[in-house]
Amino acid sequence: MKYFRYVWKNVFRKKSRAFLTMASIVLVLVLIVVLSSLLEAMEYDPSGGRGSTHIVVQHATGLANFMPLAYRQRIEQVPDVVAVAPQIWFGGTYIDDRPENFFGQLSTDPEVWAIIHDDYTIPDDQLKAWQAARDTFIAGQQLIDKYHWKIGDRIQVKGTYISMTLDLALAGIYRGPDESNIFFHNKYLENSFIGRMSQTGIFFLRTNQPAQVPVACDAINRMFENSEAPVKAMPEQQFMLQFAEMMGNIKLLVRSIGLVVLFTVVLIVANSVAMSARERVTQIAVIRALGFRRGQVLALVLSEAIVLAVLGGLAGVALSIPFTHALVEGMKHSPVAPFAFNVRISATTLLTAFGASVAIGVLAGFVPAIRSARIRIVDGLRQVA
Amino acid sequence: MAQPLISIEHVSKIYRRDSLQIPVLEDINLDIGKGEFVALMGPSGSGKTTLLNLIAGIDTTTRGRISVDGQNIATLGDNALARWRADHIGFIFQLYNLIPVLTAFENVELPLLLTRLSRHERREHVKMALNIVGLADRMEHYPRQLSGGQEQRVAIARAIVGDPAILVADEPTGDLDAKSAEEILDLLNRLNAEFSKTIVMVTHDPRAASRAHRMLHLDKGVLSSQTAASGMERAREGR
Repeated sequence: MKYFRYVWKNVFRKKSRAFLTMASIVLVLVLIVVLSSLLEAMEYDPSGGRGSTHIVVQHATGLANFMPLAYRQRIEQVPDVVAVAPQIWFGGTYIDDRPENFFGQLSTDPEVWAIIHDDYTIPDDQLKAWQAARDTFIAGQQLIDKYHWKIGDRIQVKGTYISMTLDLALAGIYRGPDESNIFFHNKYLENSFIGRMSQTGIFFLRTNQPAQVPVACDAINRMFENSEAPVKAMPEQQFMLQFAEMMGNIKLLVRSIGLVVLFTVVLIVANSVAMSARERVTQIAVIRALGFRRGQVLALVLSEAIVLAVLGGLAGVALSIPFTHALVEGMKHSPVAPFAFNVRISATTLLTAFGASVAIGVLAGFVPAIRSARIRIVDGLRQVA
Repeated sequence: MAQPLISIEHVSKIYRRDSLQIPVLEDINLDIGKGEFVALMGPSGSGKTTLLNLIAGIDTTTRGRISVDGQNIATLGDNALARWRADHIGFIFQLYNLIPVLTAFENVELPLLLTRLSRHERREHVKMALNIVGLADRMEHYPRQLSGGQEQRVAIARAIVGDPAILVADEPTGDLDAKSAEEILDLLNRLNAEFSKTIVMVTHDPRAASRAHRMLHLDKGVLSSQTAASGMERAREGR
C-alpha cells in the first residue's frame, strides 16, 4: 500500500494519455456490456428457467410457406398436447411505416389463447369480451404504455403481404414475458387469401410438462413427414432464435467482434504503458540503484497498467448501465423491438466486464513490466533523462 | 590512512559490444578508508564512472574483487545486491535524477519505502534529511519548482535518508553554476566531517576535487597517480 502513491502519480504522469487510454477501455467495456446483454436477450428463456412447455410448428421449408388448418385436429391428438392455436403473422403497419411504430400482430384462437399462454395474465372479463367479439384485440402492457390505448379504442392496421386493413377495438390488456404484440381473431382473416385457402402460418401449442416438448415435437414431425406440407416442430425458444439466425450467426459475430475489440484495447493499453515505461528508463534505473529489486519494479509497472485499466473498467461499467438503457429504448422503436424487451444487464455481465478490465491491465502491462525489470542500471543511467 | 572501508583488488572491467572487447579498467588496486573523501579524476573515457559504478554495486567486475566493509560484493546475487545498495550506498547524480511526479518529500522518502519503518518514522527521517540539506521548507515542492542547486540538495537528502556509510557522487556539481556548486561541495564536506560519510566523487573540476582528502587520477583505465588534495591546492596557489 505504501507504494500506491508512487503508482498513482506515475499513472497520471501524462494526464491526456492516461485519460485517452482510459477512454478506450471505457468504450470497450460499454460495448462488452451491451453485446453481452443483447446475447443474453437472444437466449432469453420466457419460462424463467423452469423450461418452456410451448411448441411452435411451422412449414418444414420455412415461414414463407403455410400449412393446412386441418393439421390442428391431428396435432391435438398427440399425447400430452394441452391445446393448439393456429396463428398468422399479419405484419401490417400502424399509423405509418416507420420502424418505431412496428409491433407484432398475430391472429389466433381466443378460445385457447389463455390456456396455451399460461405464462401470461389477463383479467377474466377482458378475456371474455375479446372472445365474444371478432373485431376486437388484446395488447401487451408495453404497447398500451407506448400508445396510451384505452379499452374500447379502435385502431387500424394496414396489411402488407395480406391485402386488407384490420379495424379492431381494444378488449383487453395482457401482462407477460413479451408485451410487445397484439392478438386478434383468426376469424377476422377468413376473407383474406390465407383464410380462403384454410391455411395458417404456424401452430402454437402447449404440452403439460417441459420434458414432453421433445417427444411431442418428434411425434408431430413424424406425423406429417410424408404429407404435401411437411412440418418442423420446435420449442418456442428455438423458434425465436431462428429470427436472429436469419441475419447470420449473430451470436458468433457478436462474440467475435467482442474478442477483436478486447484484443485491440489490450494492444492500445500495452502501447500506452510501454511508452510510459520507455520514457522512464532513467527513473527505473534510479530506483533500481536505490535498492528496488527487479520483482518490485515489475510489480510497480504492472500495477500502473492494472490501476489504469481498473479505473477505466469502473467508469466503463458505470457508464454502460445508462448507455444500455438508452440503446434499449432506441431498439424498442425498431424492427428488433421484441429482443429489446428482454434486454437486462445482469450482475454477471457487469462482473465479467469488470474482470475483463483487470485482464486488460494484466495482459497489457506484463510485457512492459518485464522489460522495465530487465533494464540494466548502468544502461538506464546513461540515457538522457 | 584510516581502516579501509572499500578494498579494490586487481579489478578489471571489459565491455563487450558485439564481437568487440573494450577494456575500460585494468588491474585497479585501491583502498578507501572509512570516513575518507576521495575524488576520482581523469579525462572522458578514462573509466571514472565505471569504477564508481563498481564500487556502488550497480555494475560487475570482469576480474578482481571489491570488498566493502569486508563483504565481497561480487558474491551477492541480484536481489541481495539490491538490498546491499539500499543499506550501504547513497547515490548523487550529475542530473539529480529526481522523480518529476513526486514532491521533494516523496523523492526523499523513496529509499525508505524499502524499509520496515512506519509512515510516521519515515516522515521523521525525511524531515531530518531535508533539514540537513536546508530544504525543510520545500518538502511539498515538485522538482520543477526548485532550482538546480535545490534539486541536487534534495537528491543528497535522498542519498543520506537511509543513513548509508558510503555516498557515491557522479559529477555532483557538473550541471550547476559556481555558487550552487560551492554550496553542494560545502554540504558534502559537512556530511563527511559531521556525519562521517565515506564519499567517492567523480569530477572533472579541480576546484571540486580539492575539497576531497585524496585525488585519484585515472588514465585509459589505469590508476595513474594519487594526490593529497591539500597538495593540489598548494600547487594551484603557486601558479
